[in-house]
Amino acid sequence: MNKINKWLTALLPLLAAPAAFAETGEGANTEAIIMFLLFIAGTMAITWWAARKTQTTSDFYTAGGGITGFQNGLAIAGDYISAASFLGIAGMVYVSGYYGVIYAIGFLFGWPVVMFLVAERLRNLGRYNFADVTAFRLEQTPVRILAASASLLIIALYLIAQMVGAGKLIVLLFGIEYKFAVVIIGALMMIYVFFGGMTATTWVQIIKAVLMLTGGTLLSGLVLYAFNFSPDAMLAEAVTVHPYAEELMSPGDAVTSSPLNALSLGIALAFGTAGLPHILMRFFTVWSAKEARKSVIWASSFIGYFYVLTFIIGFGAIALLVRHPEFFHQGIDGSFNMLTDLIGGTNMAAVHLSNAVGGSLLLGFLAAVTFATIVAVVAGLALAGAASISHDLYASVIAKGRATEKQQMRISKISILVLGVLSILLGIIFEHQNVAFMVGLAFAIAASANFPVLVLSISWRGCTTRGAVIGGFIGLLVATVWVVLSKTVWVDVLGNAEPIIPFPNPGIVSIPLAFIAIWFFSITDKTARAERERNAFDALTVRSQTGIGRTGAVAH
Amino acid sequence: MQKDVVEQVLKHPKYEALVKGRTRASMIFFGLTLAIYAGFILTMAYLPDVFARPLGPNWTMSVGLFVGLMVVCSAVILIALYVYFSNKWFDPLLDEIVRDVE
Repeated sequence: MNKINKWLTALLPLLAAPAAFAETGEGANTEAIIMFLLFIAGTMAITWWAARKTQTTSDFYTAGGGITGFQNGLAIAGDYISAASFLGIAGMVYVSGYYGVIYAIGFLFGWPVVMFLVAERLRNLGRYNFADVTAFRLEQTPVRILAASASLLIIALYLIAQMVGAGKLIVLLFGIEYKFAVVIIGALMMIYVFFGGMTATTWVQIIKAVLMLTGGTLLSGLVLYAFNFSPDAMLAEAVTVHPYAEELMSPGDAVTSSPLNALSLGIALAFGTAGLPHILMRFFTVWSAKEARKSVIWASSFIGYFYVLTFIIGFGAIALLVRHPEFFHQGIDGSFNMLTDLIGGTNMAAVHLSNAVGGSLLLGFLAAVTFATIVAVVAGLALAGAASISHDLYASVIAKGRATEKQQMRISKISILVLGVLSILLGIIFEHQNVAFMVGLAFAIAASANFPVLVLSISWRGCTTRGAVIGGFIGLLVATVWVVLSKTVWVDVLGNAEPIIPFPNPGIVSIPLAFIAIWFFSITDKTARAERERNAFDALTVRSQTGIGRTGAVAH
Repeated sequence: MQKDVVEQVLKHPKYEALVKGRTRASMIFFGLTLAIYAGFILTMAYLPDVFARPLGPNWTMSVGLFVGLMVVCSAVILIALYVYFSNKWFDPLLDEIVRDVE
């Protein structure tokens, strides 16, 4: 890293800070802002430190493989406990009670699936990203094009969710304009990734996972304290004050009006994790399959624990926020609707709650940690996106393996700039979406395109390039077209009156379709290439089971 | 990877036991995961009234919420058991194969 880079790293936040202060309006809060700036300074220091260690492509994408299973588990938990999981699920519980719980359980059940079907074999077969695994015995060019297309779409959806969550948070805290907030996040993300690569994003993620778990524990503890540590007393109060009343405790209208949609969502959430490029990428930061296994147990324990906290926080917010009219946009007579008038929108329920039970210090702490986590998640997403563009599209498809490491790094950095700008634009366009819902869609596409290809290519001898590519693209297309024609885009974004597709979650159709298509187009593939690929299955199994001959993740 | 290494591993007496055992273990665990998850999702979608009931008289917490918490715990427990079996049964087999081949 050259001197100019370092200077830029140090200067940019300084440029952003006074601007933010200058526009500080009524919503601002001094302790919170100080806490916030401290966090940003801290993460910048990590980035600066990591920048000195990041030299090779392997350092940039996978932190040189020097992360332990425990650390990686925390980093994965950090990725997972993001705006989507924390703010989004707490917000969903706040709005509709039990429905939010369904999301949390779906997100969590992705982990057993990852563990039992892919984690260890993935680590043994790949180097930088999951496309390496599918390309192990299938033909590079087409499978990498497929992986990159699906990954970039997933990353775009995921980015929207994170940008919206972080943007709202900044608006609430600093009282600045939403658009400006989104630009700050995009800029910070680009700095993390540009200079620190995977080492910086991983360490930022680890530290914040710890702080997030601490903050969440503290917040739930204070909420329960308000009810003499009786969760049921808290629920009783929530049911009393919420407009849905007893409905809060049951699956509710959202499920009963369309059980198929709920089922579809459930399937997509459970199988999506095993197809998320930025999560799968984390498995290449550890040394071996055994460490990959450890990563999963730690990650799932932290995530499970945190989701339980999120339920407490969500229901606690219902029970406690109504006592604080100052958190709502009030009518002239001081009245407010607890669902529609919450300042900053319902995604901010958890943030308001921290202010209610812990004062501005806890608010500042939680807001800062949440914000920093989002920036790191965005950074991780951008890294996965850059890996797709430079490693899959550029190095393997365009340059046909003749690209030097230096060229790849240049392409990566250009990609990150493009992704940064793109995420800012998307964040502005989709300002009003519930963040957990957007992530749900990203999961649906991951489960429909990446997951079937990945699983069948490593565990089914008969899988061929033709089957994987046709099946993967069918999954991707069906899921995408479905989402575009459903209420989410067709009505909410494009402004049409009626959706063409009855329910918004595509998983129940697109996932089985992808599996069947891969199977059908593989068994009917009689080419010599297909025969070669079937014969290469033994070599793949040996490597995936034993790890003998695996590449990458070696300390440089 | 060299072809002869693959041949060597394939011929190793413990290799088949490793692959078979591991495949069986992951299939069993995956089956359990699916059973719990599908049970939860299907009940929620098609028998929502079961989940809507309170846990008992004087309880606000519903059956669904309680079951949800149990389901969260079950995911972590399943993973923990798998790690335990892997460490105990499969890692020693694997170490032996790697040692013999390398």
